[in-house]
Amino acid sequence: MSSLQQYIENEREAKSHLLMTHVVYGYPTIDKSLEIMQLMLDQGVELLEVQFPFSDPVADGPTITTACHYALQQEPELTQCIHAISELAQNNPASRVLLMSYLNPLLQLGFANLASQLAENIAGIIIPDLPIDHASMLKPIHSTDVSPIWLITPDMTDQRIRHITEQASGMLYCVSRSGVTGQTDATMSGVQQYLARVRQFTTLPLGVGFGIDSSEDIQHLKGHADIAIAGSTFLNAFNRSGISGINSKLKALSP
Amino acid sequence: MNDEGRFGQYGGSFIPEILYSSQQQLLRAYREAMADSNFVNLVRSEMQHFSGRPTPLTFCANLTRQLGGAQIFLKREDLNHSGAHKMNNVIGQGLLAKRMGKPRVIAETGAGQHGVASALVSARLGLDCTVYMGAHDIERQYPNVFWMKQLGAKVIPVTTGAATLKDALDEALRDWSSSYEDTHYLIGTSCGCAPYPEMVAGFQSVIGEEVKDQSLEQFNKYPDRIYACVGGGSNACGIFLPFVNESSELIGVEAGGRGDAPGDHAMRFNTDQARFGIAQGFATKFLQDEQGQLLPTHSISAGLDYVGVSPILADLEENGKVRMTSASDDEVMEAFTLLTRYEGIIPALESSHAVAGGLREAATMNPEESIVISVSGRGDKDIFNIAKALNDKPFNAFLETYLKQSEVA
Ligand SMILES: Cc1ncc(COP(=O)(O)O)c(C=O)c1O
Repeated sequence: MSSLQQYIENEREAKSHLLMTHVVYGYPTIDKSLEIMQLMLDQGVELLEVQFPFSDPVADGPTITTACHYALQQEPELTQCIHAISELAQNNPASRVLLMSYLNPLLQLGFANLASQLAENIAGIIIPDLPIDHASMLKPIHSTDVSPIWLITPDMTDQRIRHITEQASGMLYCVSRSGVTGQTDATMSGVQQYLARVRQFTTLPLGVGFGIDSSEDIQHLKGHADIAIAGSTFLNAFNRSGISGINSKLKALSP
Repeated sequence: MNDEGRFGQYGGSFIPEILYSSQQQLLRAYREAMADSNFVNLVRSEMQHFSGRPTPLTFCANLTRQLGGAQIFLKREDLNHSGAHKMNNVIGQGLLAKRMGKPRVIAETGAGQHGVASALVSARLGLDCTVYMGAHDIERQYPNVFWMKQLGAKVIPVTTGAATLKDALDEALRDWSSSYEDTHYLIGTSCGCAPYPEMVAGFQSVIGEEVKDQSLEQFNKYPDRIYACVGGGSNACGIFLPFVNESSELIGVEAGGRGDAPGDHAMRFNTDQARFGIAQGFATKFLQDEQGQLLPTHSISAGLDYVGVSPILADLEENGKVRMTSASDDEVMEAFTLLTRYEGIIPALESSHAVAGGLREAATMNPEESIVISVSGRGDKDIFNIAKALNDKPFNAFLETYLKQSEVA
């Protein structure tokens, strides 16, 4: 069992669900983004997903896309990002830190390099434009304890879900609906049946993301998912009210 | 090409998981359609009766004499309905969308040519059409936006990133991520995830197939060299692919822009600013910085202003089957003027890149040799940019009068 899965299962013994929050590295500045990450960890967020910004984030909606483009003006570097969040992970052993990035920046660093840079402190990696069919690209990562986190979608066939669960480790990221990040029009109420379907194929912890905005959304997940994943909602809160916006959002979403 | 839609190390399918089933559905539908002679005949018939194919192969007697080198012929894609080769692709994909039972199409557009072509075909086939276009491109190509709207299409300005073609493509992919059930994504060039590069190149190959017959008929052999401008690469793939195993030399001409610095051109070859990358659903050579961020591009022609290139061309170039060169903004204006004055043909600024590349080399060739240049589109759409580049003052006066009169009205 990967240490990420072990961690999630241990935490879950005392908690109905865990929270995974999302921060764009470099938004609005590199220092500020690190400050936001630290704040989230101080508030007891179990899993922190740090997105390295990319110029063409096709799976992201306007909130995250705009934040990425803004962050790019800070000329962020992947190696520095990994270094900074590894340090964060070391200093906050009660939580786990994950890297999210589109393929191209990772590709330029090279997966062998990436694997050795992540190995010590980063629990998992999320790559939204890497389909399972190209899992072999991640070979160097497979020999570390970093879990590649695969996405499951509601209209996926049983066959493909099984195919993914067979190769997955750590946890699964179940996308709640079609579309990109940050749309909040859909409700979470239909998500239970979908999660039950995924559950048939795996004992891995299930995270649910895309469109989680409120504690009501999270209520719908209880008993069906292990982790609520919230991204755009924190960016929106920050854009409205700065650090204090993030603080109140954290309070609103915490168990 | 293998099953994955790979061309050597390029191509493939790197899309968000949410698009997996619709991409698989499209792959199957495309294969089935192409194996169905009724469908293939329908595409052919629409190309003839709606777009006016076959397009002529026109001999340039004056320029040939003037340059004193190779015999110069033009493949006249400018004579397609809509004024560009883009029509070949939208006829094919529009009919495919119909066949798949999708009532809505979305498209990205740079110059607006693909947007107009998509809107035309949608009007004809009764499809609902939404076009994503960079806000910056809308500024440069408003007349095309105007026509798209008249044709009933919805044009959505894209303001993220550099607000040009690559950003419009990102936005179309985002739309498709939530709309795939009733929507076909009608990509305008030979890029994107499988099967798009192969499919678009396939529908465009009618260009090269016609050149084969026409060259034999008009000068008894295949051309010695064939030139095409390369944005995403669809007109180039279309005219090149039928000749890949022949002796004709195939030359792609990219946008050299205003200089070699990052952001001043759109060359994906012959520069270390472009490297192997994966973005926008596929692997190819992308202009990118050291961190793998895609770079801004520039060209006098909006249609060549793209950060990646067809994986088919990236692979052919790597295997020495296509040679890539470029033409600067200034060379393009010169070529534009030459063709207009000597031959009475007004090429699009995109196509003027191919003309620049072809005329540059024709002069060094001998009169027994023949070249064919793909005139991918006509220049009418570029009237504003050309008037500006040529510093035509009366054009400004005309616009001022026009504005004054509209205010009064
Ligand atoms: C007239 C014309 N030629 C060429 C292009 C470039 O596209 P491609 O490289 O796919 O042929 C465009 C694109 O808009 C165009 O309008």
